[in-house]
This record gives sequence, structure tokens and C-alpha cells, in this order.
Amino acid sequence: MADLPRTAPAFAEDTGLLGTFAATLGVLILGLAAAVWATDGGRSFTTEALRRSQVERTPQALPDFAVVDGSGQSRSLQGLWAAGGKVWIVDFVYTRCVTLCLSAGSSMQQLQAQIVAQGLASRVGLMTISFDPENDGPAALAAYVRRVRADPAVWQVLSLARPADRRRLLDSFGIMVVPAPGGEFEHNAALHLVSPPGLLLRILGLDQGAQALALAAP
Amino acid sequence: MRLWLGTAAALCTAAALALSLPPLRSLIEQSMVWHMAVQMPLLMLAGALCGGWCSGSGGGSGGPRCLPALPRLQRFNRYGLSGFMLALCVTAFWMLPTSIDRAVVMPTVDAAKLATLWLAGLALQRSMQPAPAAVHLFFGGFALPMMLWLGLYMASADLRLCNAYALASQQQAGRALVGWTVVLALLWGAGWARSSQIKVPLQQHHGLR
Repeated sequence: MADLPRTAPAFAEDTGLLGTFAATLGVLILGLAAAVWATDGGRSFTTEALRRSQVERTPQALPDFAVVDGSGQSRSLQGLWAAGGKVWIVDFVYTRCVTLCLSAGSSMQQLQAQIVAQGLASRVGLMTISFDPENDGPAALAAYVRRVRADPAVWQVLSLARPADRRRLLDSFGIMVVPAPGGEFEHNAALHLVSPPGLLLRILGLDQGAQALALAAP
Repeated sequence: MRLWLGTAAALCTAAALALSLPPLRSLIEQSMVWHMAVQMPLLMLAGALCGGWCSGSGGGSGGPRCLPALPRLQRFNRYGLSGFMLALCVTAFWMLPTSIDRAVVMPTVDAAKLATLWLAGLALQRSMQPAPAAVHLFFGGFALPMMLWLGLYMASADLRLCNAYALASQQQAGRALVGWTVVLALLWGAGWARSSQIKVPLQQHHGLR
């Protein structure tokens, strides 16, 4: 009986390195599997890349929202998307924005010029939706329309009619808005391609306007 | 000493958990520094302190009172190999921008983060002494440059890696990560200087005088 405490560690010493090697390999395999799962097979290391590749593989049906435009008229977003059979290029802003939204605005302005020049207005529409409905009422939207010189035949500028829908709208597109210094917001800005039945087809970078237009009007 | 270690382990664990719960959760939701450079290291420190408390400074036979399985598990951790591998895999996983975003948004992923980083700290503590210099160098030589590279990239890039954090917050976290790399490298070096590998030549040098 007195030998027992001594034989147990001795046995443990004798198992050698095999158990350690097996455990190390197991940990490594588990770790790699977790990383492969988290990064979509090593393709997407950021959430934004993940969101774009997921939508590209499986287009997502979008819910309906009540929206208002610069004239204060309330409409259904799905109704807008369905009317006219256009493919829409959608971006998100808050009109107080002075940083990233300027580049979003200018890439939409370039798209508008190209749509008009190529006569694509019947096939492609532009849509800017504010995610800041509390500050962006009809008056702010109208001011934004003037600032970016949006042509109402091509480019709709909208805000949510019910501020309570904000979270659901952002989640349905996969957008995260975070507060930034100076009372501003930062968000994953992009161009979202939406087809007539309200299907989110593709998400492209703000600098990929030409590709977005080629996809919307092939 | 034992009491001090136990108290410190409990306090660090409680503080790290509190950062994942309201009202302190807003800190890690709004600041990448609080998430990556405070909570994550705190979790590993808590695990390491618990390892020190349970085993005593002597290793296996010191005190298996709180975690009786620990000494038996050391059979699978010869030379600290599996412990270092676990710590490396866990820390690398939580440096992925997708993982950081998920931990902010999904409570289940956040719970996994709390558990795995705490365990990684425990595993690292259990592996420091049994590991020979080659194992220290191999894993340290992998983990520290990885942290340094990511820290420098985050501090300098104009591209947001995480959708959950503003660019300024990412840059601050990058600088903090570089700071942690320096601190860890110094601690590791100091630990080595105290350990037997380097003590021998130092003593010889002393003897020659």
C-alpha cells in the first residue's frame, strides 16, 4: 500500500511523449478547424469580407420598411423596389456626415452621371437610405438631394418613417454603425445591389461603382 | 503566497467577467483597447494566476486541492508542448477580426472567448516550467512577431478591420498590442535570465572574477 503513491507517478513518467504529441496535434487541428470556420475557409478575415461573400453565394431576401422622401411622402420600400423592374444600387448614409459619406456621395454622383449618359435610367436606380431617421427628416433629405444634385428620376433619397425600424434595417443589410469621435458615425459603407423582388444580390465597395453598374445592367 | 495568488486569481477573473456584462460591457463594445488590450490579457492573467494558485510554485504535487485533474493532465503536456500550442491557437484565433466582431455581437461567442482565453492562461502557466529553451523559443518566436505585426498593421492601416470599432479605436488598440508585445518580450527575457539555462554561464562568469 505504501508503494502506491510512488508507482502512480512512475507509470505517468513511462507513458513517454506519445500522449503529449497526440494532445498537441489534437489542439492544433482543433485550432485550425476553428480558424477555418471563422474565416470561411481562410477567405474572409474581416466581417465585411464575410458579409460580401455570403451575399454573393446566397442572395438574401430583404424585409419591407416604411420610408419617407424629401417631400415627406411615406412609401413602402418593397413597393419602390418592385415598381419599374429596375435593379437598385443602394447605399447608407447619415446626412450630417462629413467624412466617409462624402466619398459615398461622390461615388453615387459618378454612378448617376454614368446612368444618365448611357441611358440606363429605366434599368438601374440609385437609392440612398439614411440610418439616422431621428435627425434625417424630410427637410434634411431635401437638403441632401440639393447638395449631391440627385436627379429624382434616377436617385431616391430616403429615410425611415419609423425610427424604431433602424436596428432591423441595419441588421437586414448587415451594417454596423459605431459612434466615432466628434459626434460622427463610422459604418461599413458599400454599394448594395437589390433586384426587383427585394433581394440583396451583391455588396461591392464604394470604389467598385463601374462593376456595380455592369452587374445591374448587363 | 497561496492566499495572495488565490485572491488575485479571483479578482482578475471577476474583473474580466464584469467587462463582458452590463454596465461595463459598453467599454469593450465601444473601445477595441478595452476589449483586446485589457480584457483579453486580463483573462489570460486570471487563468495563469489560478494555475499558480492550484499547483503551488513547485509544480505537480504542490496542491491539487482546487483542480485535482491538473497534475494528471501534465502527462499530456511534456515539455509544455500542448499547453503552448493551446495558448498559441487560442490567442491567434481571438486576434482574427471576424472573431473580435463576433464576440462583440454574439453572447455565445463572447462566452467562448472568456472560457478559452482563461484556459489559455492556465495552460501557459502550466507549461512555462516544463518547457525547455527550444520550446520557449519556438512558440515565443511565433506568437510575439505575430502580435507585433498585427499591432503595427492595426496602428498604421487606414482600413477598418472590425465592423464593430471605429478606425481611431483600432489604431489605439494596435499601439497597445505593440506595447504588450514589448512587455511580454521583456518578461520572457527576464524569466529566462532567472532560469537555469542562463544562470550557469552567469555564475561561471561571476566565479572567474
